[in-house]
Amino acid sequence: MNQSKLFKICCWFFIILFLGISVFPFLWILITSFKPEVEIHGTGAYNIIANNPTIQNYITVIVDKHILNAVKNSFITAISTTLYVVIVASMSAYVIARFKFKGKSILMGLILSISMFPQMIVIGPIFNMFYKLDWLNSYHISLAYCTITLPSAVWVMVTHFKQVPVSLEEAAKIDGCSAWGILWKIIFPIAAPGVFATAIITFISAWNEYLLSCTLNIVEAMQSVPVRISYLRDEYSIFWSQITAAAIVVIIPTLIMVLLFQKQIVAGISHGAVKE
Amino acid sequence: MVKRMSLKQFVFIIPLLCFMGVFSIYPVVTSFMYTFFDYRTNDQQYNSFYMDEKFNEALFVEDCQYVNYFISADITLVDEEDQKAFTTVQEKVSAMMEKYGTGTAEGQTEPRKMTSQEKEEIESFIGEITEEINAIYAKYPDVQFYNKENMPTILEGLSGSIVQSNYIGADNYKKLATDERFGKALLHTFVFMVFSVTAEFILGMGLALIMSKSMKGIGGVRTIALIPWAIPTAVSALIWSYLYDGSYGIISKIFSEIGLISSQADMLLTTQGAMASAILADVWKTTPYMALLLMAGLQTIDRGLYESAAIDGASPVKTFFSITLPLMKPSILVALLFRTLDAFRVYDLISVLTGGGPGNGTETLSIYAYKLIFNQSNYGYGSTVVVGMFVFVAIIAMIYVKVLGAELISND
Repeated sequence: MNQSKLFKICCWFFIILFLGISVFPFLWILITSFKPEVEIHGTGAYNIIANNPTIQNYITVIVDKHILNAVKNSFITAISTTLYVVIVASMSAYVIARFKFKGKSILMGLILSISMFPQMIVIGPIFNMFYKLDWLNSYHISLAYCTITLPSAVWVMVTHFKQVPVSLEEAAKIDGCSAWGILWKIIFPIAAPGVFATAIITFISAWNEYLLSCTLNIVEAMQSVPVRISYLRDEYSIFWSQITAAAIVVIIPTLIMVLLFQKQIVAGISHGAVKE
Repeated sequence: MVKRMSLKQFVFIIPLLCFMGVFSIYPVVTSFMYTFFDYRTNDQQYNSFYMDEKFNEALFVEDCQYVNYFISADITLVDEEDQKAFTTVQEKVSAMMEKYGTGTAEGQTEPRKMTSQEKEEIESFIGEITEEINAIYAKYPDVQFYNKENMPTILEGLSGSIVQSNYIGADNYKKLATDERFGKALLHTFVFMVFSVTAEFILGMGLALIMSKSMKGIGGVRTIALIPWAIPTAVSALIWSYLYDGSYGIISKIFSEIGLISSQADMLLTTQGAMASAILADVWKTTPYMALLLMAGLQTIDRGLYESAAIDGASPVKTFFSITLPLMKPSILVALLFRTLDAFRVYDLISVLTGGGPGNGTETLSIYAYKLIFNQSNYGYGSTVVVGMFVFVAIIAMIYVKVLGAELISND
């Protein structure tokens, strides 16, 4: 056996180990979600196959615990956040990528520092603001999500827009196209893959947001997925069978998204990180 | 081609400026302002910002009404002479109510400014009626009055209608400097940050190196690697809290079987165990993300460099340290910067997994600040803790940017 083959085997060993560790928690909660509550406690707790498999847990979390309502809430907020963030970020990224102006480095520094500071610093005033405007427990929360999504969206879009050849824009200008037209008819479609990657990343961060949504939207009907699921764990009685079933239900949308868009997600993650 | 921007293009960044202004910059400035006040939303005397003394008319009128009402209930229980005295008090109270109740009658509820003359008059009035009422009650130690016990509370509330300034200057910062709990939270935050980022970096780097060796099936590996990163942190924290559970968690079972911990319950119920649990859950979730960031950096390195290194007979270890690492420095630093700051402000993972427990043993700065602001309604001091956090974030960012050079911000 030569050295490179040994190396390859080692690599695969590590990859399989890594995948095993990554996937194991999901497999285990999948197993648990089909167990009746009694089998989770006591001696049968570590059985791989439940003695009396049941789908009652799923019925309970969907019918009694309204987990799908939380999925709906998260979906509406995440979609609306994505829409306005993409529009606002495209507009400013176009100007930043193509024009010189006073205070540009201040603006970029500001955007960067907003993406760095602890979200905890905005939460008190934002709560008071939402309270005064009577926006608590409503879909207005997606406006507050701009603090966590907008800076990185602008940052990534600027890199994408810079790659669009300027010559196309020149031609359009000669044909009498306005700046508004150039942005939406030329740059936006050409940079579409980058825009899409940004949109996916924005969607995921809005979907996963916890701090703002556990503060601003606390009534059950308006809770987002992460908040609803953390509320399932009652202080006095923890029904792991239900929690695991709920976790499986809410993981499914994420899973579908990752499977469909993994290329765009990877592009979105890595584009912000590499200086070109 | 870089052109100067005209007014027409400036319109394009207005929405961005509005969003950032309203939801990021305004809250930061406001939070900073909170730190100079004793601002507590659960206390009527402190739930706003008073630079100087104010007069709470609404409270004054309400308490005056109570005084009169209380007297009317008790007036029949005293003899004629004292009934007269009580009536005089009531008249005085009504007169004051009339004089100072004008704003309330017009629907004004916020405390208003007052002159020193008004303040004097109100204070002497309160002192006077307190004395008179107490004198009458004192005459009848054996009579069961309806409101003898409630009266002092109301009179005290009446003094509360003169709202003291809650501007306290740098007092919150002085408190922060000597706050042991803040020091401990800072320590926990640093422990979490250093251990999780180091582990994520080492494992992520290894993973990136392996994944970048374009092998068959690596696309599938990448997809699976994304899943832990893509699911909400609160959900994965909840999953882990089940796996760590002291009685029927599989991970705590495995760890205690192989002797890592002495009993299954140690995982979440001891300070070190809980911190290790949090770090482990974070490493599980974020290593793939780190690997993807580093892989992007790896791909920017010119393949030719490796070929010439191989021809010169350099060992893989040497190649890694003299080609890969130096060339990846910018992307490594960017990845580390963002991960460090993410770990520093960690909230949802610890909040759901341990809630800061056991016994505040895993309480990070974010958790401490959140408890102050929302559980104790102490916005003033809570915001001071956050500003303290902010300073550390700025220091960390500055160190990284210094090492990185100005590359990060210049965008031309």
